[in-house]
Amino acid sequence: MAFLVLLGPLVTGAIQKLKARLQSRTGASVLQPYRDLTKLLRKGTVEADTASGLFRMIPVLVLAATVAATALVPVVRAGSPTFPLGDALLLLGLLALARFLMAVGALDAGGAFGGMGASREMTIAPLVEPVLMMVVFSAALAAGTTELGTLAAHRGSSWLFAWDAADFLGFAAMIVLLPAETGRIPVDNPDTHLELTMLHEGMLLEHSGPGLACMVLASHTRQIVTLGLVSSLFFPVGLAVGAGATALLFGVTAFVVKVALLATYLALVESSYAKLRLFRVPQYLGVGFVCALTALALRIL
Amino acid sequence: MSPSTTAAIINDLGALLLFTMLLILAAGQVYRAIYAVAAQSLFIAIAGAVLALATHNADLWLIAAITLVVKAMVLPWVLHRVLQRLNVRREVEPVVPIAVTLVLAVAVVVMAFHLSGSLGAVQQAITGNALPVGIAITLLGVLVMATRKKALTQMVGLFASENGIFFVAIAATQGMPLIIEIGVILDVILAALVMAILVLRVRSTVAADVADLSRLRG
Repeated sequence: MAFLVLLGPLVTGAIQKLKARLQSRTGASVLQPYRDLTKLLRKGTVEADTASGLFRMIPVLVLAATVAATALVPVVRAGSPTFPLGDALLLLGLLALARFLMAVGALDAGGAFGGMGASREMTIAPLVEPVLMMVVFSAALAAGTTELGTLAAHRGSSWLFAWDAADFLGFAAMIVLLPAETGRIPVDNPDTHLELTMLHEGMLLEHSGPGLACMVLASHTRQIVTLGLVSSLFFPVGLAVGAGATALLFGVTAFVVKVALLATYLALVESSYAKLRLFRVPQYLGVGFVCALTALALRIL
Repeated sequence: MSPSTTAAIINDLGALLLFTMLLILAAGQVYRAIYAVAAQSLFIAIAGAVLALATHNADLWLIAAITLVVKAMVLPWVLHRVLQRLNVRREVEPVVPIAVTLVLAVAVVVMAFHLSGSLGAVQQAITGNALPVGIAITLLGVLVMATRKKALTQMVGLFASENGIFFVAIAATQGMPLIIEIGVILDVILAALVMAILVLRVRSTVAADVADLSRLRG
């Protein structure tokens, strides 16, 4: 859990670095997100006059919900956990809760950009979340459980050849969805503060200092949670079943490799596509929606 | 290869075919639809090769090779050339919004899978879920033809439709007689050439679009 939170900014840094290299720039160091975070933590907080007490709590709540979600992702071990924490439904619920709190915070501050960012984020969210749910459900139907560790264990070390037709469609939906869920280019642009293009950034504008650090760390964490979810749903290779030290080490290595692969995919997509107009986003996500629905239909029929 | 492995591979290829079909439906620009239909033909050729390996049917190898060359390479190239020569707007112009088409597509896919369950005896003779996938792709091809204004996109729909029929045909364990398969492929080539020339001619003489035909009254 702490491992995921600590690794989160590194993934963002790696994606930024790879993007910079693809654009023939040297780019900032992969450790830059950590430096940003420590810098923000040292700074003071400035608040809008119109903000209520809730506004101050928002960053902590968002971070708490996201960090709680990391506990539910099977990172290195498959199989049912030693103590039941929750399942995929809770994981999705926590992510949705974090998103909701973020939007509420943005509206609470009363800034124009915050409200706009929140309204845009809430336009995208109803398209993203059902797709994520349907993909998880279609995997859960095959395993007969929504508990992610058991789900991954049921998949065993199956590789592409053991995939069902529904798995292919589910994975296709996930590929379409990943940039949207992690706030990246065809849907959102993480690098810009230009009011026309931003979704996620718009909601963070009113936050400052440690609060902003919490929000930024939460979005790093959310990204790695999503990547971890994909890798445990579709590539449960290398997940340790026992508790031996070598098995755990192998599990960690496999996880790092899988996340690195998915991060490379994100960086490639970011560098090769332009951002979609907001009104074109539903059509883009519609492909994912249809794929996920078909995957679910294939499982049930 | 054991029958169950073959069925599993055909199932997976079926899923990929459905995915490419959805890409054709969702494509906002004509050339993306063309690439998607080329990928679809490529998967069909792979399916043909897999079935040839499984059934030791030499004819299927030939059919897979012809599919690969003709449908996955030559036809997309012809379409691409026409697209360049036409010099039209690259966006597809749908009659109904693309999002609506996608919803219709889901309905069609679910219906195809549901209905093919009632064709028990026929289903037995066909490997994996090739029958519902084939039906779905054929109908979705028709959907593309019905909901697009450009002649070029309608051609893409026709080829996708044809791919669907072809997939069922080669998945029916022994495949059709070679002569019929080759005849079908020749038909497709001819249709493509005739349509390509027609589209170019019509465009160069009257600059009309398919949508303009609805205003034609006798």
